[in-house]
Amino acid sequence: MPPETPDQRQTPDQQQKLQTLDEAFASHSDADEAVVDVEEPTQQLVIFRSGGQRFALPGSAVNEILPSDQPVYYVPGLPTSTEGVLHLRGRVESVISLHQLLNLPPPDGEPCGVILLVSAAGMRSGVRIEQLDDVCEVPQSALQSPPETMPTALRPYVSALWQVDEQHALALLDPEALFSAYQEGLG
Amino acid sequence: MADPRHSSEQPTQARVALVLFQVADYRVALEARHVLSMTDHPNTPRTSAAQALLYEAPLCETPTSPPSTPPTSWLTLRDAQGQWQLGVNGEITLQQLPATSLYPLPALLAARRFSPALCGFAFDQKQLVLLLDARKLAPIC
Repeated sequence: MPPETPDQRQTPDQQQKLQTLDEAFASHSDADEAVVDVEEPTQQLVIFRSGGQRFALPGSAVNEILPSDQPVYYVPGLPTSTEGVLHLRGRVESVISLHQLLNLPPPDGEPCGVILLVSAAGMRSGVRIEQLDDVCEVPQSALQSPPETMPTALRPYVSALWQVDEQHALALLDPEALFSAYQEGLG
Repeated sequence: MADPRHSSEQPTQARVALVLFQVADYRVALEARHVLSMTDHPNTPRTSAAQALLYEAPLCETPTSPPSTPPTSWLTLRDAQGQWQLGVNGEITLQQLPATSLYPLPALLAARRFSPALCGFAFDQKQLVLLLDARKLAPIC
């Protein structure tokens, strides 16, 4: 008597679950996962910390990231939010701090951290930040309108909010709004 | 006749004549053509110390202002009302700095400067020099 094959030992219900090899492999494919549209527009963000908070500036507005040892010359007769000027490759650029404008706690001691050279509203200036975190590309669709709950001091200068994960979000700053407000005497 | 385009002479570097002096801890310069004379003591009725004009408001002294230092020299300037004298400190020198070493005030700072006369910067031996437009200086009293 020939030995019983495995199929012959299975009930009719079990037999209905049998698949071909191709079907079995297909179940491991990514076909059911979300399709990533590689053509989706992205925006480059320069992510940094200032006053202990995380912010971003559009990468298109940041011309250069200058090292912390870049000499900055103090200039008298300017508001405390102006750190001074720097001399860079045949140009003199201002260096400002965003703490007062964004209502952030002032830094302790001497200015430290890198300087972002930012262009906006037809102007260029160094912006002192405490720490550079990352430069990355994010999908435009990941940038949301700032919520109504955003602090009043930040609202005029935030163009979008990026919800990095469930617990963390960061504000994308509008460099034109920052420079215009600074020129108007704020901060 | 030699073609000037192929001259072996180096092109002349444009320079600007400046009178440099000290205001508290800072080197400051005025265009020399606006300085009529220099004296040790004021001899015109209208005078002002440079420090007061640069970063001290008479009723609103900023916390970053250094303590006032009495002027040791007086530069005679002229405005629409006639001659007046600017009190300055330190060694006073006449220098011709290369035009390429003079930089206008960055746009972002122009709106926030205490003194409208602050018009730019120069670097002399790696030291910052504040450039003043003498035409925008005016005595306080």
